Amino acid sequence: MPEWILRSEEYAPRTDADSFIDKSILSVLGALARIRNKAGDGARALGSAVHPALRLASSFLLILFVSLSRSIWFLAIVGTFELAVICLMSGARIARVLKTSLVASAFAFFIFLPSALWGNWPGVLMVAAKVLLSVGLASLVSTTTGWPAISQALSSFRLPDIFILVLDLALKYISLLGGLVLDMLYALKLRSVGRNHGKTASLSGIAGTVFLKSKDAAEEMYAAMECRGFSGTYRTAVRLDLSFFDFAFVLANTLIILSYFFLQEA
Amino acid sequence: MIELHDISFSYMDAPALDHIDLDIEHGEALALIGPNGSGKSTLLKLLNGIVFPDAGTYRFDGGEITRARLKDQSFAKRFHQRIGFLFQNSDAQLFCTSVYDEVAFGPRQMCLDEDEVHRRVSNCLGLLEIETLASRTPYHLSGGEKRKVALSSVLALNPDVLVLDEPMNGLDPKTKHFLRSFLISMRTAGKTIVCATHDFEYVDGIFSRAAVFSSGHGIARIGAYAEIIGDRNFLRANNIV
Repeated sequence: MPEWILRSEEYAPRTDADSFIDKSILSVLGALARIRNKAGDGARALGSAVHPALRLASSFLLILFVSLSRSIWFLAIVGTFELAVICLMSGARIARVLKTSLVASAFAFFIFLPSALWGNWPGVLMVAAKVLLSVGLASLVSTTTGWPAISQALSSFRLPDIFILVLDLALKYISLLGGLVLDMLYALKLRSVGRNHGKTASLSGIAGTVFLKSKDAAEEMYAAMECRGFSGTYRTAVRLDLSFFDFAFVLANTLIILSYFFLQEA
Repeated sequence: MIELHDISFSYMDAPALDHIDLDIEHGEALALIGPNGSGKSTLLKLLNGIVFPDAGTYRFDGGEITRARLKDQSFAKRFHQRIGFLFQNSDAQLFCTSVYDEVAFGPRQMCLDEDEVHRRVSNCLGLLEIETLASRTPYHLSGGEKRKVALSSVLALNPDVLVLDEPMNGLDPKTKHFLRSFLISMRTAGKTIVCATHDFEYVDGIFSRAAVFSSGHGIARIGAYAEIIGDRNFLRANNIV
């Protein structure tokens, strides 16, 4: 046994500018937490009581009609509907939806502020209100619908199955490889016990390993799929079990869309 | 040397550690045993300062380890030098372009002169019988070779404590026997060993004590390793065998 292993290390570490490791860890952790939260999120919150395909279709149509509308009353109706749905969510989700939409709306308002100063206040307020509602609707779907539910909803819209497969696999591997990156950053942090003169080399080493791992994982997955009979086509079966909430949701959306035509005429 | 008092930790809403009390003496070899998902790996991460307890205190050599304490760079680096961690997935631990550089990474960080670095790397590769791999790329090695390289890279820092997360996982019997002898020699050399393991037939003679995790993320029993392993009814009741 070498003598240096037998004695306790007398070591006074020197400081080094390596906060980039902690920052990288935090950003990977944040991204992974968002993906994993979303992945397991589907069954909570009221928005989720409605079938994801209906949620997605409703958001798409309402955003379309909000952008076409010139009636402040129609925007008010959509706003009321949106608030009614938001009110039934948890505090954290409400804060997330409101924060995103208010920031986007304020940004739009400031962009168009010069136009308002020339007297076009109604137009500018209309644009800001449309941005608020549209971003709010998108944010509502994003907050209440997990990745699996979005993928399921896309299947209901008869999107090509191979597209759904690629989306599912991409999400799965972002999560898996993200976990590997996180572990590698932890390992780098634990072994960064002094001065690292090759910081970029360490990070490029991590990137290289993750690339090789993703290539191997892709090959292994393809081999496994072939072994299970994969011949290039991928079928997903979607059951559209509609509940009372779904019918109520469809009814509310139909009334809102009808009000668009009525208020345009008026 | 390591004192855990009433430690609890959760990932989001999922509890991983529930009121853990555990003391580990200097030079001791402790096995962590428990069913999958019982919190062993989380405890090892906590010992290494990767995660921090939601409640309770963790003391290492008398000093409390907290997120704020590890923001002190000098303290954090010294702490990480003193406690080495072998990850369950060796791929996660290897990021250099050659095995030699991988093992030399730590000693070079410690600003040892290049002769000393070379001596340490040669010693570590020799101890783990992987001298012939020195110029190879870590990623292309076999599972057992990667595990040995990862262990060498930890050992080169000369830590006082070796924390190992299922080191025998996925290895062939010959490599498992080799690792067993290696860990016994490390224990003889005075290193403190904390190791999560399921491979009871390959770890005889390494551990003095064992802590058994229950499915509820708490510690069901702490005692002499041989005594716990001999109690088949207890192990069966805790879903370990």
